[in-house]
Amino acid sequence: MLAKRIQPMVFQARRYYVELMFQVMGRALQAVSEVDENVQNEARALPDGFLFEMMVMPDGSRLIVEHTGQGRFHYHGNTAPRPVDLSIQFKHIAHAFLVLSFQEKTSVAFANDRMLVDGDISYAVRMTRVLNRLESFILPKLIAQRAVKEYPADLRLPKKLISAARIYLKVATNFVETARA
Amino acid sequence: MTNKYYEFFCPVKVIAGKAALEHIPYELTGMGAKRPMIVTDKGVRAAGLLEPVIAACEESGLEITTIYDDVPPDSSTTVVRDIAGIYRQEKCDSIIAIGGGSAIDTGKAVNILVSEGGDDIAKYSGAGVLKHPLKPFFVVPTTAGTGSEVTSVAVITDENKGVKLPFTSSFLLPNAAIIDPRMTLTLPPHITAATAMDAMTHATEAFTCMAKNPLSDAYATAAIKKVSQSLLKVMDNPKDSDGRLELAQASTMAGIAFSNSMVGLVHALGHATGAICHLPHGLCMSLYLPYVLEYNLETIREPLGELLLHLEGPEVFAATPASRRAEASISAIRKLRDALYKRCQLPRTLKETGKVTENQLDHIAEMALDDGSIMFNPKEVSLDDARAVLRRAWA
Repeated sequence: MLAKRIQPMVFQARRYYVELMFQVMGRALQAVSEVDENVQNEARALPDGFLFEMMVMPDGSRLIVEHTGQGRFHYHGNTAPRPVDLSIQFKHIAHAFLVLSFQEKTSVAFANDRMLVDGDISYAVRMTRVLNRLESFILPKLIAQRAVKEYPADLRLPKKLISAARIYLKVATNFVETARA
Repeated sequence: MTNKYYEFFCPVKVIAGKAALEHIPYELTGMGAKRPMIVTDKGVRAAGLLEPVIAACEESGLEITTIYDDVPPDSSTTVVRDIAGIYRQEKCDSIIAIGGGSAIDTGKAVNILVSEGGDDIAKYSGAGVLKHPLKPFFVVPTTAGTGSEVTSVAVITDENKGVKLPFTSSFLLPNAAIIDPRMTLTLPPHITAATAMDAMTHATEAFTCMAKNPLSDAYATAAIKKVSQSLLKVMDNPKDSDGRLELAQASTMAGIAFSNSMVGLVHALGHATGAICHLPHGLCMSLYLPYVLEYNLETIREPLGELLLHLEGPEVFAATPASRRAEASISAIRKLRDALYKRCQLPRTLKETGKVTENQLDHIAEMALDDGSIMFNPKEVSLDDARAVLRRAWA
């Protein structure tokens, strides 16, 4: 009985969590592209103006980033200025929650058919590598190991800490700027 | 509770064995089809493989309305549009694709156009674009390896843009796959070997990659057992129709397995090598398989060890310590490749192909890294890792 009563609240909390994580990830993608050379090299292969979307089907939360050139991403929030070039779509908010709460690795979610790719698959592979790199930076190693297929062996603690601090600072600044605007 | 989850789907009716072709008219009329079109290539026609199909239909009073026999090895949007035009002109109502991967993929693409309308196949490219069932579509494979008769994918080259267009939809799956040993009896030895190793690779990757599941495992292990037991027998006696049927069934089973559990690094490297060096797909699979298994070894030790039972049989499996079974499985695959090299010079290294140069390896590695299959490889692959595997496969 109690479980039935609190279920709507649990669903609501899950929706808020996924939405918040998309906002953090979108800003963090922009930040990591300003901080990490590896991410910049991956992003350079994308066309300038390339729009990437990650969303929950059918019309749930979403994040949209654009490759503005030189390996840099720009976070557009949840609205795209034009049709997106690549969309990674979670089939259900429960699947998005599994991935964004690090209970299921992104690669496992793909293998488990939790997500669909609409667009060029080679760009989706590239964006997955970028997301993995981002998660390796911003999450504590123990949690990152649950999120990515393989934690990068060359990512030493000092570099991780400095990069993570810079990314979080940029994310926080972006949140503040958005709130002010 | 475990997070383990999987999906499995294969609605294709498999019609296999002696006189399987003679079931085509019954199956077609059962779907209300009276004017079938055959889509095939010149090689299939020259090998006389159309005659038994035509005879089987005519004996049952079903006329083949038209035959298109000019599908190129790398089919294009223009070819698809032309065939769709002939289909409409001749008022056909169903398609029978007879051949290897290219003829089957072309048949799938033509079926999209004639069912959905229009002349521009490119607009149906991608995943999940098709929303309705298509026209009756039957497949008669003439090689035993691709598994295309049970996959929901087709790849067609867009000549104008110079890109390969992928089409993915469960509606692309044929209504029936007809597996008749007569269709592979005349397959030359090197193609028999390469295509069988393609099936072996589909099954091995299906069993060891990330999306493996209990149902695809069952198909994968059965396919591996059939290839292991029948390939060398068929190489020594190409007219062994029982062995040919075993290989053809193995190919279909491996196709069902990998279309439900995906493939990994062997395919990523193979796709890149095929695109850059124009090597046949089956050859690339045979070439890379042991090197990739060695790369993935510590991640897949348990399932790879299990495969020894299906590769070498119960006696070798029982006599091999559990801790050595994974390595023994790789050795069994190497042994099979050596036997094939002896019989038909199927290359085991990139150098042996004579068509790859060492300075192409970096390009292959870079391209492989962006291949969709790499997502399902059980071990993360960096550019350096891909280069290292290629260097090992070089000589």
